[in-house]
Amino acid sequence: MNEEVKKKNKELIEKSKQVVREAFEKFNPTKCAITWTGGKDSTTNLWIIRQVCLEENINLPQVITIDEGDAFPEITDFLVTISKKWHIDLKWLCNFNMLKCCQSHLGKDIHVKDLDERNQAELKRIEFEFKSFPFEAESYAGNHLMKTVVLNKYLEKSNTELLFMALRSDEQAARKEDEYFTHHKAGHLMPEHTRVSPILHFTERDIWDNTHLHNLPYCPLYKIGYRSLGARTSSNPGEVGVPAWEQDLENVPERAGRRQDKEKAMERLRKLGYM
Amino acid sequence: MKNVILLTVDALRKDVLGCYGNKEGLTSFIDSLQNKSIKFTNAQSTGPYTQASFPGILTSSYYLEYGRQKKCSPRRTLISEVLKKSRITTAAFHSNPYLSNYFGWNRGWDFFYDSMQDEVSDKIPYIKGDGINHKVDQWLTSYTKDDDYHPFFLWTHYMDVHEPYIPAKEYLNKIDPSINLSEDEMLSLFKEVILKRDLSNQKTVKLLKKLYDAGVRETDNYVKEFFSILKKYNVLKDTVVIITTDHGDEFGEHNGLSHDGKMYSELINSPLIIYFDNRTQGETCNNLVSNIDIPPTILHLFNLEPFEKFRGHSMIPLKSYPQNGVFGEAIGKTSNHEKETDKPIYFYQENNLKIIYREDNQSWEMYNLNKDSQESNNLIKSSTKSENMKKKLMTYINREQ
Repeated sequence: MNEEVKKKNKELIEKSKQVVREAFEKFNPTKCAITWTGGKDSTTNLWIIRQVCLEENINLPQVITIDEGDAFPEITDFLVTISKKWHIDLKWLCNFNMLKCCQSHLGKDIHVKDLDERNQAELKRIEFEFKSFPFEAESYAGNHLMKTVVLNKYLEKSNTELLFMALRSDEQAARKEDEYFTHHKAGHLMPEHTRVSPILHFTERDIWDNTHLHNLPYCPLYKIGYRSLGARTSSNPGEVGVPAWEQDLENVPERAGRRQDKEKAMERLRKLGYM
Repeated sequence: MKNVILLTVDALRKDVLGCYGNKEGLTSFIDSLQNKSIKFTNAQSTGPYTQASFPGILTSSYYLEYGRQKKCSPRRTLISEVLKKSRITTAAFHSNPYLSNYFGWNRGWDFFYDSMQDEVSDKIPYIKGDGINHKVDQWLTSYTKDDDYHPFFLWTHYMDVHEPYIPAKEYLNKIDPSINLSEDEMLSLFKEVILKRDLSNQKTVKLLKKLYDAGVRETDNYVKEFFSILKKYNVLKDTVVIITTDHGDEFGEHNGLSHDGKMYSELINSPLIIYFDNRTQGETCNNLVSNIDIPPTILHLFNLEPFEKFRGHSMIPLKSYPQNGVFGEAIGKTSNHEKETDKPIYFYQENNLKIIYREDNQSWEMYNLNKDSQESNNLIKSSTKSENMKKKLMTYINREQ
């Protein structure tokens, strides 16, 4: 790797570390949590936060991961292996009530009336009006219940004030580059909290440069062509057989492999006043 | 000219632009482009909503040509597909779900951003203009790194004028500082008034129009930002920019709100501006043109041969544009929900005469737009031209497909 990349990488990491330090100045580390999906971004993020903790002699905040019920086994293995290697007490979160309702069966219809009170209230909150929906992690209702609700419940129970996330601005068009911290006001069924994304300024290319430069572990799926890992049934490889970092990162959208969701399009259209 | 950019603003009424006579100063930036542009004063859309209009804008075909389906038929050819074959780089940036990958509009683009994988806010269900600009900026950074880059065709589409009308506070203040609505209140106006097409309170309709106007003002600023990005990468001087809309919006002119299946001017008479950075003088063109002419015009600007499947004609050079009538079709829905039983509606315009046919009640309307810009005086029974106009419209309806 050439000197320019190395120099840039050093600057990127230093910037991230500053954000992490700022976070620990503003929030007590015991009131913080780190999200980790096992994907390349959140692994990089965790690696950086861990370094700051070691340097500043701070206990690593609680690391959490959400099981959406449709995870790649490779991702689960990766999380287990690396948490051992890095001595991380990883907390697995899951919406068990929902899994129970569909007997962990993907695609199976979940009847809203079978869900527990909280899940039903959550569906009401997002104005989901159907009587049943298929169990898919990335469908509109599924995504909300399997990810958002699980996270909100955790925040509430653990009194977490700050959540470390791994968003990147090149992926989030709506996001300004310098908005590392975003405050989320308390809402119905949602506790007040702040989110911080220390690697916001990394591009997909920067992530891979960093991964290779520092020999970070990564899930083997990236090597066979996946560029972005979400739920198993909705993620597809970019170019099959071509490692992610050798693909055309600059011109092909990263999530092109993830299935476009009809429900998502319909939901947005509804909010635009159609249907 | 090396590159062509198509900049479309969803649901932009022609009469809110200063360059088309509006006096409120909502679009000072777009107005400032006039001295380097050709301004078309008589451009019609092929339909009154996105799905009926974009087949014209991007595929030079009519909405119902390939059957009544929501998805872009594989039998349509997008301008991006034609250009890509000619080795022109194509890139699209928008946030309209109807034009997303799911609906089949991603064909032929080297880079296609439809925002469907990004998170959007609960109230404003699309990526706002600054977010779209940010994406364009990123793409241009890498694309123009090499001075010798390939010519490109870029399509950018803004949603910020579209309902729900929730403009940013600073723009609303410029329209009327006395309006003190929260986002939630604006959203409930959308749900309670627009979605229900409730015109019972004229004051509320006027208030909604002000919110809409603020969105126009906000969007003008995104267009300004967009042009400054083009300047930053030094591409503006080599680029033609076509600015238009897919359709307008109604505020009670014909007893409705939003944009349903109607063919009146507030919905289908579009602003259309072609900007040339190297021009020193503006020009106004009063020819009757259609947005179906946009793809052939783009081919012409790239010095490419016409494509036989495109139904329109290049608007440039103005002299050789054929003086024909223009046509459009849609489903004549009258609420926010299109029903299976809703029937088509068609229009045909020639000079200043427009004829409209609604299939559901088999009604005919004809208006002289010169004398009756409100389209309230139906001439179908009194005019001697009715039969001839009916015939011409029927030729389009029964055209070979």
